[in-house]
Amino acid sequence: MAMRQTPLTCSGHTRPVVDLAFSGITPYGYFLISACKDGKPMLRQGDTGDWIGTFLGHKGAVWGATLNTDATKAATAAADFTAKVWDAVSGDEVLSLAHKHIVKSVNFTQDSNCLLTGGNDKLLRIYDLSKPDAAPQEIAGHSSAIKKSLWCNNDSQILSAAEDKTVRLWDSRSMEEVKTLTFDTSVSSMEYLADGEILVITYGKTIAFYNALSLDLIQMVEAPASINSASLHPEKDFFVAGGDDFKLYKFDYSTKEELESYKGHFGPVHCVRFSPDGELYASGSEDGTLRLWQTAVGKTYGLWKCVLPEDLGTENSEQLYSSTPEIKA
Amino acid sequence: MATPVPVLRLPKGPDPNSRGFDPNSPRFIALCRTSIPTSAAAESDPQQLQEEQHARSVLRESFLRCLLAMSNKKVRFHMHEKVNVEATFGASDIDVLNFQVSDLHTPIGVQKEALIRSQDVISFTFDV
Repeated sequence: MAMRQTPLTCSGHTRPVVDLAFSGITPYGYFLISACKDGKPMLRQGDTGDWIGTFLGHKGAVWGATLNTDATKAATAAADFTAKVWDAVSGDEVLSLAHKHIVKSVNFTQDSNCLLTGGNDKLLRIYDLSKPDAAPQEIAGHSSAIKKSLWCNNDSQILSAAEDKTVRLWDSRSMEEVKTLTFDTSVSSMEYLADGEILVITYGKTIAFYNALSLDLIQMVEAPASINSASLHPEKDFFVAGGDDFKLYKFDYSTKEELESYKGHFGPVHCVRFSPDGELYASGSEDGTLRLWQTAVGKTYGLWKCVLPEDLGTENSEQLYSSTPEIKA
Repeated sequence: MATPVPVLRLPKGPDPNSRGFDPNSPRFIALCRTSIPTSAAAESDPQQLQEEQHARSVLRESFLRCLLAMSNKKVRFHMHEKVNVEATFGASDIDVLNFQVSDLHTPIGVQKEALIRSQDVISFTFDV
């Protein structure tokens, strides 16, 4: 019996969702943070999409958001020229780090002690969160705005992607450039998988996979449409991608075959990420929503409930699909 | 025709009245540090704790009395970016996030009614 994917729509944002990130798996489950142009990043329970809280304080569009592994801290990058660190349990703002221009990307080290930021001032900055008043270390080199910056190789190195059409690998101690990848067009997204040291880069209609240590190309795949973001499953059997045609695509990582495509969003997909357990992936769109998609369609997980064939004839399908009165549009 | 996967319910949306982070959630109770520094210390001296709590109560009470004393008085607000404005103070909201004022004198004119965001205010003065 074929089951059709039912995406779960998380409403609440009033403008395009431009970035999202999952935490690691904590004793309280895992969490999801979304960055939105409405300036109000939100924290959600990762497996259900239930809203937990909104981080209030930014005075401009939030371009980047991240959580530390145990979801106790959150960081956001915004158009108000600040990056902010938040207590992700209470929702309180802990630190506001002033920058000279729009901040686009934030990333914690594994121990949550340092924060890496990158943005339109073309500099990478490393903040020691135990010394918030100390000036950050700065790495210069990019000739255009930085879109994404992240720690890799056990936090000993940094990867950055910028509008100058390069992706650069830096040594975080010497702050020197180790390697550069140049593309014909600027990279739309970057994802790093520590387990396996794989880097997922998207540009144009291409989804490319690189070895994160050597920056050697592993393989590349062409999608039917321009791709804004892609994510590799933690077990490296699938990857998903979304872009300007509003659809989500699912590919087999080994065969590069396109397995499925899903409609649902009403605008371009800006970001897509697999959950830490690989059971679902979340997508953020220009339409202001986040959607959660099942990796194994029909499996009982989170809010999705597997129904046995013999129950389908007797169940009143309205009970299963109808929304309860308190759900807001 | 494939059957859509059934769902138990839709994800819960934001509460329009609050920013969330439910203090009664198990995660909050387990992980949130108390805001009183001494009580978080491994060996908190009950005497010191009591003194600190007393000091906090005194400060809070005097702040609240100050807000009460200010109502309907002319107050000068010193704000960021060297902004100084004068207005007749109305009230503060419960979280002290906004101040409701009347007759706000700004460089571009007098605003009959306004809300001043308290995080923008550095200090304010008024004559008792």
